[in-house]
Parts: sequence; structure tokens; C-alpha cells
Amino acid sequence: MKTKKLLAKLANFMDKDRNVQSDELAAIREVLKKLKTKERKLREKLEDNPDEEQRKELQGKLEVVHAQRIKGLDRVMEIRESRKEKSAPAAATDEKITEE
Amino acid sequence: MQRSLLLTAVFLVLGYGFWVSPDLKEIAAGIALFLFGMMSLESGFKAFTGGALEIVLRRSTDRLWKSVAFGLGSTTLMQSSTLVSLITISFVSAEMISLAAGIGIIMGANLGTTTGAWLIAGLGLRVDIAAYAMPMLVFGVILLLNRSRELKGVGYLLLGIGFLFLGIAYMKEGFDALQEGFDLSAYAVPGLAGLLLFTAIGMAVTVIMQSSHATLLVIIAALAAGQVTYDNALALAIGANLGSAFTTALGGLTANLGGKRLAVAHVLFNVMTAAVAIALIDQMVWAVDWISDLIGIAEDDFLLKLALFHTLFNLLGVMLLVPFVKQLERALIRYVHFVPPPAEQPRFLFPEALKTPATAVAAVRNEVAHLYDNAHVLISHGLSLRRRVIDSDASLSDAVRSTRRIMPLDVDDVYEKKIKSLYNAIVDFIGNVQDREIPQQWTDRLYSLQQASRDIVEAVKAMKHLHKNLSRFGVSPNPPVREHYDALRVQIAKLLREIRELRTEEPGAITSLSLDSLKLSLEKTSRERLDSINRMVRERRIPPHIATSLMNDEAYAYRLGEKLVGAAHVLLFSDEPADRIAEELLALDDREIERMATGSEQSGKTAREAR
Repeated sequence: MKTKKLLAKLANFMDKDRNVQSDELAAIREVLKKLKTKERKLREKLEDNPDEEQRKELQGKLEVVHAQRIKGLDRVMEIRESRKEKSAPAAATDEKITEE
Repeated sequence: MQRSLLLTAVFLVLGYGFWVSPDLKEIAAGIALFLFGMMSLESGFKAFTGGALEIVLRRSTDRLWKSVAFGLGSTTLMQSSTLVSLITISFVSAEMISLAAGIGIIMGANLGTTTGAWLIAGLGLRVDIAAYAMPMLVFGVILLLNRSRELKGVGYLLLGIGFLFLGIAYMKEGFDALQEGFDLSAYAVPGLAGLLLFTAIGMAVTVIMQSSHATLLVIIAALAAGQVTYDNALALAIGANLGSAFTTALGGLTANLGGKRLAVAHVLFNVMTAAVAIALIDQMVWAVDWISDLIGIAEDDFLLKLALFHTLFNLLGVMLLVPFVKQLERALIRYVHFVPPPAEQPRFLFPEALKTPATAVAAVRNEVAHLYDNAHVLISHGLSLRRRVIDSDASLSDAVRSTRRIMPLDVDDVYEKKIKSLYNAIVDFIGNVQDREIPQQWTDRLYSLQQASRDIVEAVKAMKHLHKNLSRFGVSPNPPVREHYDALRVQIAKLLREIRELRTEEPGAITSLSLDSLKLSLEKTSRERLDSINRMVRERRIPPHIATSLMNDEAYAYRLGEKLVGAAHVLLFSDEPADRIAEELLALDDREIERMATGSEQSGKTAREAR
């Protein structure tokens, strides 16, 4: 997926209703949890496997799962940051209204 | 198995015959040399095809008389009605000439074979033909050593004629010597029974030798030596004509509908000619005697009389059929149909499934999975691996290493039967669904499923190209080449196995994300193999023409893998919205995969772009 396309999707995602965002964030977390389990299993397999060729394959799979997890975690952070940013100006406006 | 048993039996019978009779050895050697001569002639004429022969053929078949004349002329020149018939079948198959023109050529070719009988009877057995053969063989071999295709062709032609002459001489000597030992004519059968029996023998001999010319040579040589009676020789000649239709029929079996129709026409023509000759045998014999008397053939010159009989009954057949060629063409078109092999039928695409978008999409998805399964089998076989090997836990490297020969596979045929038919049905069904107004989300799903079908078809096409070179170099005795193709086969086989395993899991983000590791593996191994090919070229371990084949096949293998992963991605994609979002956000893109493959943060070209 091209970066631009990804960013566009992310932007769309950010603009959605907060509740929907929460559900989707939960889905990403769920997938991340599964990926973590998968990564752990792959590591165990790698430790137990003496075959060089198979180890190479497992190493490749491990790299991919790890990269996906990092990517997922980054996205979670971005979403959190974005939500914080969105909620911060709203809070500032609330304060102004109270002062008046 | 049956073929090897038959071959063993033929060897044993011939071996025993050679041991018992040295004369039989000489006769058999004569036939062998004659047949080899015909093969050389064919090779010689083939050197000139792809140009002159085709142009002449196309220009000389616009009228029926021209077609007949062409058949007659070309067969007289080439002395092989089989070659002319088979080329005609290929032209009719390619729709370059009409069926009626093809029938005309076949009739002319039948007439043309009679010139062979004249040559053998009039010249071959009367002069020391072997003396003419020797210089032709010498000149033929010298020309064969040339690089020029045309000169080589001429060399083959000279060799062909030389061997034909030598074969005739050996046959003559063999029968002459046999005559001193025992008399085969003692087994002559008179009357209708003899006529039918010897017709059948002539036919069987021609079918075995695949040449009516060779049979005629045997008949004439045996007649000259008095080993068969004149009456029986006539019946043998009728049989030889019938047998030659069998050779064409075999050629027609592998041709398309036009070729099959022409082969049927050839069989009909020869059967009709033979039936007329048998029915009118007494009248034919009388006509031969009368014409012989007229043109000055001696009453006891049975060799020329046989040649005349051969010409007469073929001419009679042509005269009987010529007025009905158009009707025959129409009848063949009407009654001879090509029964296509049963194509794979869709299992899930029924009108009921069109009722709701969800059922329609589910049906298409199942059908695409069916299509994928068929492609899985085809690609496994294309790699010369049984499906059960791919679907088991057995070592793929061992299975590939132990391959002794590449499995013959008609990829086009399987594609038509197992892939194209389903692809057509899927595209048609999706068209029907889209005719109804359905929400965008379902249209998108259908689009991606159609794309997946296309990916599967593309993967199969890549396999088709790959299979060609695999058949040539897959079990190459050159170790670096063999190792490369082995690695390529193992990689695709592993991909098939991994996708198959993923498909047994629940569809969802995790399953779909697993495809990224396949993409990475594809990218890495492709790069490694391209580097390896370049290294082999640098070190002069493989010639450049093999290196380019390896590179092309590398590209096909990459494409095949890429398309299979693409199709699997759609099949493993979850319908759950949350899963889809998660998968879209977490899946690695091409650049990320490529960075991982190179192990560098610097973005270079992907293996695909490098091609």
C-alpha cells in the first residue's frame, strides 16, 4: 500500500465518529494481541528447530510479524495522539465558555 | 506398457527371422533403408517449408482441379503422400485453405502415390539402381555438413533418394535370393477370399510401416521374384491404399475440427475407392489388359500392369468423387462434430444465488476458491510434483531433487478445461449480479473477487511459460542449471503449500497478514536467484542463452507467486469490518517488504521493478 493511500485511509479513519474509532482501535489491539502470540510461538519454534533452511524461513516470518506489530503499535499511538489533540482544543473552548 | 511389449515382440520375431533366414535380413534391411530414405526426404522438404511450400499451397488451391493437381504434383515430387496429407491437415486446421480444397489435395495425393509404383516397377527393378544411390549418398552427406539450412535440405533430399534406391536394391536382391529357397506363392489364395485376405494383409503391412510406398515396393519386389501371384498383388495394392488412410487418420486425431473432417474425408475416399476396386476387380483387370495392350506393355509384364492397376483404381476413385466434393464437404461439416472434452462446470454459481448480494458474493467467493483449487493442481503438475506431495508434510526439496523426468502436461488443454471455463462463468455471474442495483460495499467485494480470478488465470499462464523451459532444462545434466530449476520449483511448491495451510485456517486479519511473509520470501529468493544467475554468467558456468532462459523463468516464477499471493489475499480476507481495517493498517506495503528483503533502509528497486 502506498504511503499516501495509507495516510488517506488513516485520515478517513480519524474523521469517523469517536465511538466507531474506539471499536476499531479495539480491533487493532485484538489483532496486535494475536500477533504477539504468533510472534512468541514463532520464536519458540525457531529455538527448537536445528534445520538451517527452516530456521531461515521462520526468521523471515518472525521479521514480518514483528514489523506488523511495530506498525500496529505506531498506529495505535497515532490514533491516541490524534484523539488527544482533538480533545485538547475542545477542552480549551469549554474553559473559555465557563469564564464568560 | 503395451507399447514396450509390442516392441519387444517385434524385436524377438525379427531376430528369430534373421537367424533363420539371411534373405529375410536383406529384405528387412531394404525396407528399413527405404523408410529411412522417406524420412530423409521429409526432413529435406521440411527445410523448405515455412516459405515456398506454403505459398505454393495457398495459391494452388483456389479451384478443385488445382487442388487435385497440386496433390498429384507435390506427392510425385516428394514421393510421400503422408507428408502431403499431414501438411494439408495442418493447413485446413489453420483455416488457410478450405475443406473442399483439402479434399482435392488428398485425392491428388492418392493419385501421386501411383507414380511411385511406376518408378519402382518401371525403373527400380530393371536397372542397377544401387549404383545411382552411392553418389547421392556421398553428395548428400557432404551437403549435410554445411551450415546453410537450404543446402542441408538439399543434402537430406539427396540422402533420401539415395536411401530409397538402396532400399529398393536390397529388397530386390532379398526376394531374388528368397526365391531360390522357397516359394511364398504356394500360399496364394484364389478368388474373392484371396482378394479380401490380401487386401487386409496389404492394409496391415502399410499400417505397420506407415507408408503405402514401402508396401508397394514390397509388393512389386515380391511380384518380380514370383513370390506373390498377380491377382494377390492387386489385392495387396488395394490394401496399401486403405492403410495409407489410417496414417492420415492418426494425424487427424491430433488436429482440430477441420483436420478431423479432412481425415474422415480421406478415410471415406480410400474406403470407397477400395470398395469399388474390389467390386469391379474383374472389369479392372480387363481394363488393365486392354490399356496395356494399347500402350505397349507386354502381356507378361506384371510389374507395369500392377502399376497401371494402381493408377487406374485411384483414378476411378477420383473420378467418382470429384462431382460430389461440395456435397461431401457439406456432409462433413454437418455430421462431423468436435465433441469438446467436458469442461469443468461451476459448482456454486446458480440463479438462486443472485437473490441477495450476500449470497451472490458468497457464491462467487466459493467459485473463486474452486478456481484456485484447480490452479493449485495444475501448477503442482506443472512443477512435476503430485498434489499429494504438496499437500503432505513430505520434504519438497527431496521430492524435487528426486525428479527424473518432467511430467508431460498440456497446460493449454488443462487451462481450457479447468480454468478458462470457470473464469468465464465467474465473469458472467458477476456481470449478472452487477445488473441488479447493489450497495457499493458488495460491488467492491465482487470487484476484488474478479481481480482474484484474473490473478489465478495470470498465475496459470506464467506456469505455462515456465513449463516449456522446465521441460527442456528442468532435469538438465548441467548441475548449476538443474540446481536453479530445482530451487525455483521448491519455492513455488512451498508457496502452494503455505497458501493451502493458510486456507484451512479461519479467514481473518491474522491469516491474511501471514501472506506478507510469503511476499517477503518471494522477494528475497528472487533477488538471491537473480544474483546467482549473474554470478554463474560471470564465472562462465552457464552459457548466455541458458542464462536468459533462467532469467525469463525467474520472472515467470515471481509473477506466478505474486499472482497467487494476490488471489489468496482476497480469499483469506475477512468480511468483518474491524478485521479489515486492522489488516489494511497493519499489512506491509511493497516498499516495506522490499526494504526488509534488502535489509536496508535505503529504498532501491523491488525485484519486480528490477525486471
